[in-house]
Amino acid sequence: MSLFSADGLFKHFGGLVAVDRVSFAVEPGEIHALIGPNGAGKTTLINLISGLLPLDAGRLVLDGADLTGLPPYQRVRRGLSRCFQVTSVFGADSVFDNLMLAVQARAGSSFRCLRRRAAEGSLRESALALAQKFGLDAALDRAAAILPHGDQRKLDVALALATRPKLLLLDEPLAGMGPEDSAQMVALLHRLRTETAILLVEHDMDAVFQLADRISVLDYGRVLASGDVASIRDHPEVQAVYLGTEASG
Amino acid sequence: MKRAPGWLARSLPWLLLLSLALFPLLAPSLDLDYYVGFIRHLLIVMMAATSLNFILGYGGMVALGHSGFVGVGAYTVVALVDGGVTSAWGAWLAAVAVAGAFAAVIGAVSLRTRGVYFLMITLAFSQMLHHLAVSLSAYGGDDGYSLHAPLLLGVGLDDAHPHVLYWVVLALAALLFTFSCRLAVSRFGYALRGIRDNETRMAALGYPIYRIKLAAFIGAGAVAGLAGALLASHNKFVSPSVMHWTESATLLVMVVIGGLGRRWGGPAGVALWLTLAEVLKLYTEYWRWPMGLLLVLIVFLAPKGVVSLFEGPRRAG
Ligand SMILES: Nc1ncnc2c1ncn2[C@@H]1O[C@H](COP(=O)(O)OP(=O)(O)OP(=O)(O)O)[C@@H](O)[C@H]1O
Ligand SMILES: [Mg+2]
Repeated sequence: MSLFSADGLFKHFGGLVAVDRVSFAVEPGEIHALIGPNGAGKTTLINLISGLLPLDAGRLVLDGADLTGLPPYQRVRRGLSRCFQVTSVFGADSVFDNLMLAVQARAGSSFRCLRRRAAEGSLRESALALAQKFGLDAALDRAAAILPHGDQRKLDVALALATRPKLLLLDEPLAGMGPEDSAQMVALLHRLRTETAILLVEHDMDAVFQLADRISVLDYGRVLASGDVASIRDHPEVQAVYLGTEASG
Repeated sequence: MKRAPGWLARSLPWLLLLSLALFPLLAPSLDLDYYVGFIRHLLIVMMAATSLNFILGYGGMVALGHSGFVGVGAYTVVALVDGGVTSAWGAWLAAVAVAGAFAAVIGAVSLRTRGVYFLMITLAFSQMLHHLAVSLSAYGGDDGYSLHAPLLLGVGLDDAHPHVLYWVVLALAALLFTFSCRLAVSRFGYALRGIRDNETRMAALGYPIYRIKLAAFIGAGAVAGLAGALLASHNKFVSPSVMHWTESATLLVMVVIGGLGRRWGGPAGVALWLTLAEVLKLYTEYWRWPMGLLLVLIVFLAPKGVVSLFEGPRRAG
């Protein structure tokens, strides 16, 4: 059985159909890449799956649990997490406090109000471990807003991973990164596949071809093609719509 | 501004508490008896301001109806006293519970909106409460209600000293302030500030946004209710004007000039505001004019509140 399945997802904004009856599945341990030109509906799809936007129609199942209609926080509890295409961190807080807030979300109740959070050693340890994993340990005390762009992207992904998801939705984690940061992130995503399945939205085709087990192509809100790396690379329609423009552009 | 050394900063609150505790004993010899009542009032308003600062400064919820909960607390005491209740603790506790219940209902509705709509809805609710109080002819309607029979503290406290209510208020204010400081650095406090700063991300991290905000709103409403109950005991009189919307606005202004989202913001704002008003009233009955000018000046000199002038470069919790 698939780890995650989306069935007939549909979303329109006024007259614009942004996601048009999209169905796909993610297998356990898989990196499933989702590619498509600008405006294809990739971010909208991620918003629908994470629950930040309400579905017009369709059904979502993760690990046997029906997520359709659940509020975002209950989807996270059932094992879904996401990062953001436009970096979304807590800019005024230090990297450490960012990580603590993400770790705290998963570990027990956030309604505790008598105990100092700083005294909770296990939270601290989880936060530090995350920082190490993402190479952010040298920047722990710096405010997130003043980090270099690449580090902000890493922090964004680190926050998403802190909730220990079964399925991680990554919306262009490499966006705007230099080659060095990109390579680090690709290596990191490689390692993550033992922890979680990943739905990877990405424009960087080199990274996609390196990482993906399967690729789905989205165009005008519809799934144009879906298959392994080789079949997508050679798919004529895909080349015309997407890879062709990418190669010439 | 120079920063006080660590030990001084740490002992200041205790020194303050000690001087406040000793004040009623020293006041007669200094001919400052009147100011015992003044400070008692100040401490009560500080509780209301601290609770507002919690949802406004830490939670980012711009509520303009906080005095409604103060009023609910005060009128709960009125209703109980009118019904023959004599225990102060019982009446105050009931005020906390009733104000909390009102906050639960009002919050459950208002928190479905954001920004200016939230402000309008909380304002509308408090106006409704105000009109309700005016219409309660059993409790004097517009004229208010005098608490003739005093509420009793029991355990021999009532006849122990004429200023015993002062110390009770001081103890409650100190407890509440300590609790609010702890709350700010607890999981709940961090979560609330996270929601203020980036609600979308908090939702994506798995925080139940609505429930966290509602819990904060209820807690703040309950504390405001306690302030209202104490105000009733303090004045021995309650009228609908305690929950007029201008009272909410004044509370809000006090928190803002004190320091939004800063632990000393509520107390500092209240102390500054009420002291300025008191001093200006000595000179002129048209004190609101110079008060307004001073307010503008404060906002320009310390846009992040007067408390921020005494802070180091790092953001305080
Ligand atoms: N909240 C919204 N209201 C109206 N239209 C929207 C909204 N969000 C997205 N759209 C539209 O839906 C379409 C899909 O947008 P989306 O952001 O999902 O594309 P994308 O595939 O993520 O593109 P990109 O590669 O540029 O990130 C676009 O035409 C966009 O303008
Ligand atoms: Mg996008």
